[in-house]
Amino acid sequence: MTTAPQLMFIGAILFALGVAGFLTRRNLIIMFLCTEIMFQGILLNLVGMGLMRGNLQGQAVGLFVLVVAAVEAGLGLAIVVMLYRRRGTLDAEKWSLMRG
Amino acid sequence: MNAVAWAYLAYGLMAAGALGIYFALPRGGRINRAAALLFGAIAAGGILLVMYQGLGDTARPSVVFAVFSLLAVGSAARVITHRKPVYSALYFVVVVLATSALAVMAGAEFLAMALLIVYAGAILVTYVFVIMLAQQSADDPESLSMVDYDANSREPATAMLAGFVLAATLSGLFIQRKWPSVAAIEEPAGNTVAVGQELLARYAIPVELAGVLLMVAMIGALAIARRHLPNDMLPARPPELPVGEIGKTVEPF
Repeated sequence: MTTAPQLMFIGAILFALGVAGFLTRRNLIIMFLCTEIMFQGILLNLVGMGLMRGNLQGQAVGLFVLVVAAVEAGLGLAIVVMLYRRRGTLDAEKWSLMRG
Repeated sequence: MNAVAWAYLAYGLMAAGALGIYFALPRGGRINRAAALLFGAIAAGGILLVMYQGLGDTARPSVVFAVFSLLAVGSAARVITHRKPVYSALYFVVVVLATSALAVMAGAEFLAMALLIVYAGAILVTYVFVIMLAQQSADDPESLSMVDYDANSREPATAMLAGFVLAATLSGLFIQRKWPSVAAIEEPAGNTVAVGQELLARYAIPVELAGVLLMVAMIGALAIARRHLPNDMLPARPPELPVGEIGKTVEPF
């Protein structure tokens, strides 16, 4: 008997909040923050799944998710800085030409 | 109540949460605070109800667990609804703190500390730096008023509908399930030692690959974000020497 289902429930809500924010915000930095919220939800889910299986694999994989989150933040923010230098705005709509 | 009724209750509370965020999203720099608070309170109460009664045969979470859960969800909602990017970043710190508290309560102490150090210590500092970098200059009067892309959200109704469908589908998976009963994780020497042994025994090659990934990302970030100077601003290169003359003369410092 663990509280793993509650952890996974909260993680699912965090993930959905991140997706909704990513869809609706226009500031590039906030959009990247929303992906970080999704990462938090995934981490909670991994911890909960590890609890449910009764081993440490969930936590170990969670550390790799942490690495990927750090990489994503570094590269993503570098791209944001580059885009800001090109157009002088953080508005994602200004780059809608890339939509094709 | 049976499982179907619980599922519809969960859908209803997700709809309330989506409506609350819909009213809290800035529109022309303004938000409908009363409606947002009302629907947010309904959603928070519903989340508590589902966590304590609706998930089926599980252990009851403690009060501290419930408080940190609501803190995480509420701060995440503030991150995506706040008009000022700096405040969004600060609310995200609260999300990280609450998440790591939940991880500690689940027994993942090392992961929680890594979360605090990496997220709150490193990633958030990067975000705040970039936000500061991208602010307009202080003598620009435009910077005091809100910029358009922070004051107006994009297609809030459609985005909240998508978020509601995702949240309802995911939470429907958790309602009144028959959860397997498992033994507690054995950690005779503590969580850090156990995770370290797991990492270096089962995941040795992925650990090395993660190091390579971090280095590639660091070089990539440098290459993307550096300033490209025009050629006439670069320092002058020394003249090319014929092959036999290289290294025979040394310029004085």
